[in-house]
Amino acid sequence: MGSLGNYVIRRILFAIPVIIAVSVITFLITNAAGNPLQIVKLGTKSMTASQLASLEAYFHLNQPIYIRYFLWLNDFIHGNLGVSLYSGSVSARIVPWIGTTLELQIPALFLALLIGVPIGIYSARHQYSKGDYAITSAAIFGISMPTFWIGIMLIIVFSYYLHWLPAFGAISAYPPYWWGSTFTDAIAHAILPLSVLTFVSIATITRLTRVNMLEVLRQDYILAARASGLSDRTVIYKHALKNAITPVLTIVGLSFGTLLAGAPALETTFSWPGLGFAFVNAATSLDLPTVLGITMIITLMVLAANIITDLAYAFLDPRVRIT
Amino acid sequence: MAWRRFRKNKSALIGAAIVGFFVFISVYGVFFAPYPPRSFYCLFNGCANLPPFTNWAHPLGTETSGIDVFSEILHGALGDLYVGVAATAISVAIGLLIGALAGYKGGPAGALLLGTTQIFFVLPVLVIILLFARIGQLLVAQGLGLTLIVVILGIFGWPTIAFVTRGEILRIKELEFVQAARSLGASNTRILFRHILLNVLSPLIVLSSLLVAGNILTEVVISFLGFGDPNTSTWGLLIEEGFSYVRTSWWVALFPGLAVVFAVLGFNLLGDGLADALNPRIRE
Amino acid sequence: MGELLRVEDLRTYFYTEAGVVKAVDGVSFTVNEGEPLGLVGESGSGKTVTVLSAMGIVARPGRIVTGKIFFRGQELTHNSESEMRKIRGKKIGYVSQDPNSSLDPLFTIGNQLVEVIRTHFQVSKDEGWERGIKLLKLVEIPEAETRMRSFPHELSGGMRQRIAIARALAGEPELLVADEPTTNLDVTIQAQVLELLKTLGKDLQMSLVLITHDMGLIAEMTERVIVLYAGKVAEEATTRQVFQTPKHPYTSALLASVPRLDRKATLVPIGGGIPNLITPPSGCRFNPRCAYAKQICVDQVPPLEDIGDRRTVACHRWKELDLRRSA
Repeated sequence: MGSLGNYVIRRILFAIPVIIAVSVITFLITNAAGNPLQIVKLGTKSMTASQLASLEAYFHLNQPIYIRYFLWLNDFIHGNLGVSLYSGSVSARIVPWIGTTLELQIPALFLALLIGVPIGIYSARHQYSKGDYAITSAAIFGISMPTFWIGIMLIIVFSYYLHWLPAFGAISAYPPYWWGSTFTDAIAHAILPLSVLTFVSIATITRLTRVNMLEVLRQDYILAARASGLSDRTVIYKHALKNAITPVLTIVGLSFGTLLAGAPALETTFSWPGLGFAFVNAATSLDLPTVLGITMIITLMVLAANIITDLAYAFLDPRVRIT
Repeated sequence: MAWRRFRKNKSALIGAAIVGFFVFISVYGVFFAPYPPRSFYCLFNGCANLPPFTNWAHPLGTETSGIDVFSEILHGALGDLYVGVAATAISVAIGLLIGALAGYKGGPAGALLLGTTQIFFVLPVLVIILLFARIGQLLVAQGLGLTLIVVILGIFGWPTIAFVTRGEILRIKELEFVQAARSLGASNTRILFRHILLNVLSPLIVLSSLLVAGNILTEVVISFLGFGDPNTSTWGLLIEEGFSYVRTSWWVALFPGLAVVFAVLGFNLLGDGLADALNPRIRE
Repeated sequence: MGELLRVEDLRTYFYTEAGVVKAVDGVSFTVNEGEPLGLVGESGSGKTVTVLSAMGIVARPGRIVTGKIFFRGQELTHNSESEMRKIRGKKIGYVSQDPNSSLDPLFTIGNQLVEVIRTHFQVSKDEGWERGIKLLKLVEIPEAETRMRSFPHELSGGMRQRIAIARALAGEPELLVADEPTTNLDVTIQAQVLELLKTLGKDLQMSLVLITHDMGLIAEMTERVIVLYAGKVAEEATTRQVFQTPKHPYTSALLASVPRLDRKATLVPIGGGIPNLITPPSGCRFNPRCAYAKQICVDQVPPLEDIGDRRTVACHRWKELDLRRSA
């Protein structure tokens, strides 16, 4: 599949201007006041000499702004994300943050696809039925609710009122551990945030699948397939689904970015120590190196997710490989 | 023609009703609200931290800080409406312009604009918005807080609009009758223009409604995280205040959230309903 | 001549949000072996829906309300879905209108042919593949072996239409329904496809039903014609009869709108548009556009009368009117 290979290369090349764009944007905003130190000072009243020194080195303040940017970008490419104001090396701390965020995002995505796609198919095949109306109504409610607010409501009910589940954190810092072991403890902590994330994703995926499925079922090739005597299962799950799922995959890939970005509010609600929570804390305390580092990393992750989805799309749909 | 379909579409009508109600409340609610925005009245009058439905003067309860929830929700409505609609207006203005240029002119300029649009699609928009909001908070004068949010959301919302505008213009350019009209004489450019405009407006109206919904949700996140304007009433701010005291005053988080769901639902239903009504259906 | 397909008083309605669309409202006809049949009418006259009803693939929100369908004497009307699947593709093949969209864009030609072959015949994948190649050769696709691995978008419209025909033939049906087989094709390709259909009919001993709005095609391909208007039969006769002595005003209007190269004639388009099938005109549905309409045409629905010579007409005034074309 030579054309597929070309497509891959083109997609990766496209990533470069994106990274540049993000780096320029974030760099500029942090230098918006002229001297980023001004901003940092607003967040922390006093800085130790070593903090000051590390910040100056990070931002290369002794250079004019143009050179500052390239020096900073150069540092970043070499893995030097600077030193956080409060917690040591940024690059060292980012990896566990990523892991903790993905602990939530990836299972949520899988569950949402596993549950949402069949529901969407059902809804499309039984359009105008009561089931369809119920599903579409629930879905539109689902996308109208702020994700983190659902989390708050669940905390109120399941944590404070029923005491069934823990409200904050990814694990208990010290015994007693929920439900017996540290393993079950981790699971107990994950249930609420995971449920929220999954629910909201299911709402989006169901709507998408349904809309695409409806569109596909109207197509001539579905009619032709039926007219050839193919079984319902073949028509729906081979032809209709494959055609309907490709745009869903694109949206899922794109929305991985939003999911990841929706993490700040959700993780803050649950004090879930992932990228989002770290970002919010860093932004609140104006710990700029951390903020910049996280922004760049999230951008890279979103890019990676996009490229993977694009590849999957090109793999599924042969028409795309030509563009 | 599409108007009739719209009227028959139940969810579209419900959406329109909700939006109408929301706009009404936002604009006139400030006159009905029993207390001025951000008023700590109850702190000094012994009615702080009241649960809801216990006192008719404070139907939805009060915060520990003395703020009346019902009153604040009314004030917040205006704030959220402002952010939602104004930001959308900016995005549409920018997006329409860029999309039209990219679609009509084509060529290298068009490719450049398309590329820019595509870059925005891949950015982690929320994170960048939060960053801008936080830093903007520090640099911008008090009182301009919400407008800052409006500008930021407006600037990051245009790509979808531009993309759809461009797509529609490209599609219409290809339609046979357009080419035929053109070959008949330049005097028909006015008809072309009208028709292109009409076709572009349909999906844009739908997108606008959905964009308002999205902007309100984003604003709520921004305010909840403390990156918004602490001096203007918004629902996100309320939810945050409720969250800080969630153990003791859960109602402060619940009711503003319900208001958000209600308003956003309205715009979503309206958008969906418009999409159905304006979409040419296949004739059986 | 053996009877292949018989439809009796078929009514198929679509229950939409806008109202009940009476797409097929009392249609009866018979398809006989070796007698190519044409179903003629403008778009929206119910031609396609009639055939789809016979095959049991009317999409929601459509439903067969009443009527009986027989294939070779066996009633299909109350068949289960799995029983109908033995008819579709195996007894009755269907080629749909638009070759650009009747093939799934995501699968190779070979994949789509083989899946139909293996649905109807118990053969291995390899055997199925071989048969697929034979089918492509049958419809005169060059380089058949390579083509099996192509995707639909890599081929021209003409080739796609042939492949669609090949797929319809994969089950070796006794009856082939070609729905507007040439509408979306270039003029030069049209002739080739029609030739192909004729040859196939002869070689495979397969009967043909041709759905079209083009009277020229009817003249060339069919021996018997059924003219449909707004879900009802306007008239039924042999092709020759219809062309020489049309009995229904709609038929003669259709004939008048066919361009002719051999003599000078004014193209007369039929004024007005297809009626609203939710609230059709009262009485004869053609009356608003009929040049010969009288009050009775508005008051009463004309019954489908047997006028002898294997002809039927649904027109109040058929006896009075002389609709022969001016020579």
